[in-house]
Amino acid sequence: MTAQTENATGAITAARDPAEPTRLRRFLRYLRRHPSVAVGGGLLLIMILIGVFAPLLWTVDPTAISPARRTRMPSEQYWFGTDMLGRDIYSRVVYGARVSLVVGFTVALLSSVVGLAIGLLSGFVRWADGIIMRAIDGMMSIPPILLAIALMALTRGSVGNVIIAITLAEIPRVARLVRGVVLSLREQPYVEAAVALGARTPRIIIRHILPNTMAPMMVQATYICASAMIIEAILSFIGAGIPPATPSWGNIMAEGRALWQVRPHIVMFPAIFLSLTVLAVNLLGDGLRDSLDPRIAKSL
Amino acid sequence: MLAFVIRRIITTIPVMAFVALFVFSLLYIAPGDPAAVIAGDQASPADVERIRASLGLDRAYLVRFGEWLFRVLQGDLGTSIFTSLPVTQLIGQRIEPTLSLMVLTLIFAIVIAVPMGVIAAWKAGTWIDKFAMAFAVLGFSVPVFVVGYLLAYTFALKLDWLPVQGYTPLSQGFWPWLRNLILPAVTLGFVYIALIARITRATMLEVLQQDYIRTARSKGLGQRSILFLHALKNAAVPVITIIGIGIALLIGGAVVTESVFAIPGLGRLTVDAILRRDYPVIQGVVLMFSFVYVLVNLLIDLAYTLVDPRIRY
Repeated sequence: MTAQTENATGAITAARDPAEPTRLRRFLRYLRRHPSVAVGGGLLLIMILIGVFAPLLWTVDPTAISPARRTRMPSEQYWFGTDMLGRDIYSRVVYGARVSLVVGFTVALLSSVVGLAIGLLSGFVRWADGIIMRAIDGMMSIPPILLAIALMALTRGSVGNVIIAITLAEIPRVARLVRGVVLSLREQPYVEAAVALGARTPRIIIRHILPNTMAPMMVQATYICASAMIIEAILSFIGAGIPPATPSWGNIMAEGRALWQVRPHIVMFPAIFLSLTVLAVNLLGDGLRDSLDPRIAKSL
Repeated sequence: MLAFVIRRIITTIPVMAFVALFVFSLLYIAPGDPAAVIAGDQASPADVERIRASLGLDRAYLVRFGEWLFRVLQGDLGTSIFTSLPVTQLIGQRIEPTLSLMVLTLIFAIVIAVPMGVIAAWKAGTWIDKFAMAFAVLGFSVPVFVVGYLLAYTFALKLDWLPVQGYTPLSQGFWPWLRNLILPAVTLGFVYIALIARITRATMLEVLQQDYIRTARSKGLGQRSILFLHALKNAAVPVITIIGIGIALLIGGAVVTESVFAIPGLGRLTVDAILRRDYPVIQGVVLMFSFVYVLVNLLIDLAYTLVDPRIRY
């Protein structure tokens, strides 16, 4: 987005202020220059707080079944109504934030770490590169959702297995990104100079390569987080994800599916929360991308 | 050119081999005991052993892979555990609805997304551009089943313009077929439009800064012919590339869209197979979709020469 690109270049010129601003003021100025980071980050923070403080947010036990109060419409007592088993949808949606956020963050972290290792290996060990890249091309030819579905068909539904399945599907993207960065950095004069000075490979990786992979990896991690949350919801929605009793947004929508023509709100409340959370992460990713590297701002 | 085509086809062989190896190895990668999971909770130990034998998990990994690959290469994707029908036959029965949905989505998405990206780039910075890009961010963020339910609720349930669910084969007439597919295609196209529009805009922004565009403008050419003849032609390669890569999104999205709109296609087959833990069917569908994906991208690679005569092989 061009508007933000201009902002990013503006930030460089404005950095020379006579009075050294405090950390907080610098942070606030950064947020003002990158509104999508502020909006996305703020929205995400709200979702995290909702997840963390779920028991305090006027919720009841999200798994408590009560056949006498089935499929109630939203009311003062049941803010979002009740589902087919009489469970309070508001409580389930609030607790559902925990599942989505845990899955999103864990997948982003795990796939970044594993992808980084594979990418570095591929970028530095020449004989391994060919094999790894063919394997990655192969894995990337399988649509991520299908790959996760196939894995979930072979394991019991649990949060841990869902995380493993989505992580496996996302690793190739990180590995390929890191390999690209490594290959382009290896041609840089300062890396060649370090090699000529006799620096060993581990030192080159830690001093010169790793710091340069951090910015693109952070951006990639936010997109993976968003995509993981969507895949988790899809897996749960089609019945291949987290066990139905666990309140997750995908599960609530799966339960509302049979009734959606008469009780559309059962599907819509978790849908709104899921969309807002994914939107928050995507906005954060876009903003980080534009502010960390204005040159790649236009490439996606 | 012919040499390139042959070379390019040969490079897809190791990729396909890795896809096959990976899809096959999932049985071994999966945590826990796949045979026990597939058999279900009520299964007796004898049932589990029977399924273990039918999946070949009781034999050596490489021997089993060799046998499996040999049969796949002959077009035999195995037998469904649940229905005992050949997987290829099950796939064959379900291919028409999915193919219809995807082709329609592809046409619809390209017709909307490319002009949207071009206009957003031309009007860069204005509210039109901001609106288009806000739509693109939304498209990436709103999951496909949410779009599906919203559209179905509005246009089928409330306004009653289109059918809520179902599929009519093309053999029963073009209009009934199209009517049933409009909402699913719009649903599935949502994220795809976002992706294509974003890339089109980014590429067009770059192209519009080139010297030959300034030349065209100073020659007095009209805006429309500059945009769609000079600029879009030069932006075509990245746009076509992303259309090919985005097919993966379409395939994943089709599984969900078909569930929402009760379309009896391959996605529905996959979902049913998951609920019954019918692994050979899932394996077959994943393998087939991946093969199609690789093939489409191969064709797109070969098509570059058509859109950009500078590319010669």
